Amino acid sequence: MDLLIVFISASVVNNFVLSYFLGICPFIGVSNKTSSALSMGMATTFVMVLTAIVSWLLYFLILVPYGLEFLQIPSFILVIAALVQFVEMVIKKVSQPLYRALGIFLPLITTNCAILGLALLLSMREYTFMQSVIFGLGAGTGFTLALFIMSGIREELELTDVPKAFRGAPITLITAGLLALAFMGFAGMI
Amino acid sequence: MKIVMHMIATLTIIGVIAGGVLSEVNDWASPLITANQKAETERAIFLVNPQGKSYEAVTNAGFEIYKVFDENKNPSGYSLAYEGNGFQGKIRMMIGLKSDLNEITSIEILEQVETPGLGTKVTEAPFKDQFNGLQTAPQVNWVKGKSPSQPNEIQTITGATISSKSVVAIINSGLEKARKLQKEGKL
Amino acid sequence: MSKQKSMWYEFYKGIWEINPTFKQILGTCPTLAVTVSVMNGIAMALATTFVLVFSSLFISIVRKLIPNQVRIAAYIVIIATFVTVADLVMKAKFPELSKALGPFVPLIVVNCIILGRAEAFASKNSPLRSFLDALGNGAGFLLALIVMGGIREIIGSKTFLGYQVMPNGFEPWLVMILPAGAFITFGLLMGFSNLYIERKKKIEMQQKISQYRKSANELKEAEA
Repeated sequence: MDLLIVFISASVVNNFVLSYFLGICPFIGVSNKTSSALSMGMATTFVMVLTAIVSWLLYFLILVPYGLEFLQIPSFILVIAALVQFVEMVIKKVSQPLYRALGIFLPLITTNCAILGLALLLSMREYTFMQSVIFGLGAGTGFTLALFIMSGIREELELTDVPKAFRGAPITLITAGLLALAFMGFAGMI
Repeated sequence: MKIVMHMIATLTIIGVIAGGVLSEVNDWASPLITANQKAETERAIFLVNPQGKSYEAVTNAGFEIYKVFDENKNPSGYSLAYEGNGFQGKIRMMIGLKSDLNEITSIEILEQVETPGLGTKVTEAPFKDQFNGLQTAPQVNWVKGKSPSQPNEIQTITGATISSKSVVAIINSGLEKARKLQKEGKL
Repeated sequence: MSKQKSMWYEFYKGIWEINPTFKQILGTCPTLAVTVSVMNGIAMALATTFVLVFSSLFISIVRKLIPNQVRIAAYIVIIATFVTVADLVMKAKFPELSKALGPFVPLIVVNCIILGRAEAFASKNSPLRSFLDALGNGAGFLLALIVMGGIREIIGSKTFLGYQVMPNGFEPWLVMILPAGAFITFGLLMGFSNLYIERKKKIEMQQKISQYRKSANELKEAEA
């Protein structure tokens, strides 16, 4: 029950993109095609779950017991960078098709603030190990959902006559605003 | 090989310097941060128990509860910090209770992430003041759209019913825990 | 660099010409997240500027000592150190603000403005120039956050820096302080600034055309 609440909260009620504003750069950058939005979302979800596991272990088993909480930011960011590199290498070795699908998105993920935000939030809220994993999964699902919906809308927007000054980022932001309003309907589920 | 050594050496030096600087800053900041947190808790404890002058934490309670004493060192009540789910996330609050746990002195919302302008009204006076002197036997109840008729009832906020109900639910579950402690003689 | 630009230029270019928020579209996350009120915006911008200035300065000083292959890793460690300093100082001295900004102070570390300036400017320029460049970009960021925060606070809670500025009869638009309001305000601001630039270009173009016509006419008259 508790885990379900964490999942729903992270994926829809407090959606990372639409209510925490984490991961706006890829949200605007990679949301023009549904296919690439899905791949990006899946790659991010995968890294998010791994980040949740690794940063939980790092924070609660190493930093807290030794009173090194002040090293949280540098250590998290280095771990995430290393993790992304590692995932990229493993995927390349294990599955070529998967690498072709996700490969180009992986380097982009290092600079995605949603990943670091996830690690910071789970240590701030003192989640248990299981909660952290579910939190990572929920946040990734929410990110994928927002990216996928947005890309669907943008494919339609391509065909409309948007004023020239508002094409690209401005109209995407305004659409995201409307989407954020729609997502407010999920509030109250927890 | 020389380049690799150079790379490792540079990163090590930077890492060591960074770690040293941070531990110095942390030594300076962490007592201040702890003091801030303590001051904040203390402020909330006395805010919900206005006649309190000193307090002590109840140990082994399993949650945060403080016994509050007045100026003559007589126990005047309890302040308990309790949290639960609101409309959009956790609501954490401090509840002030008389010694018999049958009357609320007042409440204070410490943390919340409710909808700005609607749910956040639970932190404002018109709603919060309803709890001043509210009876808690057998539990706190809410009514919607009409004025409360019983001494243990409060009215929910229009447009923020769920947030209002959540506050009541958090108070009730906190009360239940406190009563259980009292029965066991731990308070 | 082909020609040496003036020191003053290194500073003021960040405010409008390459404004990090509106022109480079960097640091969008904090721009949207913390601008519920002007005060939060200012605090966030000052914290970011602190990190930006010190990491730029520091990176510029040690730029020749860092091997090229590990420069990004080194920059990130330097930036993360200053972010932690800023975070600890805020927690110790301004607990209220630190609470209001939540995880967005530690998230300065992934704010692309900082790594962007480090890589694009500080790693190639003298400490003084890097310092001015960082200060200018910080000022540009501050300006953007004040504009965003101002619009959202005035319309969303009818106050500016906590003082009431709208008449009592004005019903605040709640949507402005919700996440949706942030997206819409930013989208509109960006759109209108594009529109303004477009107009300006058009007018300049028309002036050039009319000037050209004028001189052409003068030539004709002279020939006649």
